[in-house]
Amino acid sequence: MVAEEPGDGRHADWSAGGRSSGGRVVPVYAVTGGRTRSTGREMPVEALITVTDAGGRAADLELEYRTIVELAAAPISVVEIGATLGVPVGVARVLVGDLADAGYLAVHLPPSATTNGGPGPEILERLLDGLRAR
Amino acid sequence: MDYVRGDSDQALIPLKVLVAGGFGVGKTTLVRSLSEIPPLLTEQEMTSASIGVDDLGPVPEKRTTTVAMDFGRITVDDSLILYLFGTPGQSRFWFMWDELARGCVGAVVLVDLRRVDDCFPAIDYFENRRLPFVVAVNGFPGSDDFDDDTVRDALALPPDCPLVRMDARRPESGLTTLITLVEHALARTAVPSQL
Repeated sequence: MVAEEPGDGRHADWSAGGRSSGGRVVPVYAVTGGRTRSTGREMPVEALITVTDAGGRAADLELEYRTIVELAAAPISVVEIGATLGVPVGVARVLVGDLADAGYLAVHLPPSATTNGGPGPEILERLLDGLRAR
Repeated sequence: MDYVRGDSDQALIPLKVLVAGGFGVGKTTLVRSLSEIPPLLTEQEMTSASIGVDDLGPVPEKRTTTVAMDFGRITVDDSLILYLFGTPGQSRFWFMWDELARGCVGAVVLVDLRRVDDCFPAIDYFENRRLPFVVAVNGFPGSDDFDDDTVRDALALPPDCPLVRMDARRPESGLTTLITLVEHALARTAVPSQL
């Protein structure tokens, strides 16, 4: 586990066997079934996650699923979810994939790459405008 | 399943820029000075299949390990969110760069002129994969002793690769460097695919 910033409230204590909050009784890997790769579509670490209308029904989900649905109230990336929960990004990807498959989350993928491999000129223009306006 | 590709109408669009360079050159400083979120680390799992056998050293039974990586975030506008990733410095983690580099806007390669050799692997990496990158000389003491031509020669930079001077501690300096990178990436989209 990576060293966590103490006391900043952004890291739930996922590794502590449920001593902190919400009654964790199994390691997070038990929730993922040991999976660190999503079986579904490719999900890059920067993919953005938002909650769907079905997210309101997430109250009955297990703690880590529920927490992710709550985090996704505002757009958040897979890598931020992993870091916030203190789990490797591969684990976050699996949990997000499960929730997306179940309809709780929408996954916003990066734009299709051009033949040069990166985003196309329209998106780069917008990025440039946004950065220049800062 | 509810996946939305980032060029559809309703899109939220994630973008990313890599920050590369040798150990201690200022990657973390740059990511943190530009990021709107508190510093966060992510962990990426690494299996023994991904790394050289000798890297496993005295614990040959160890199958996986994790590496930590800095990242930051800039909300650019209503739908564009840019992530900055500080790449792990050690070359044995380059397998991670491939996943990170896929689809990226480009890279900032940070250079400390007192230790130019440290940035060569990063420059080689982005050059070989034809990814847009800028070389940013971080303002350590003595970095003004060399003019741009001398630095370009020392780094064997391609003529079209931008070279900037910056101070990774200052957000406006980092922002200027990012803008230079995006301008460079945009200019390259006008060029037919290079083989």
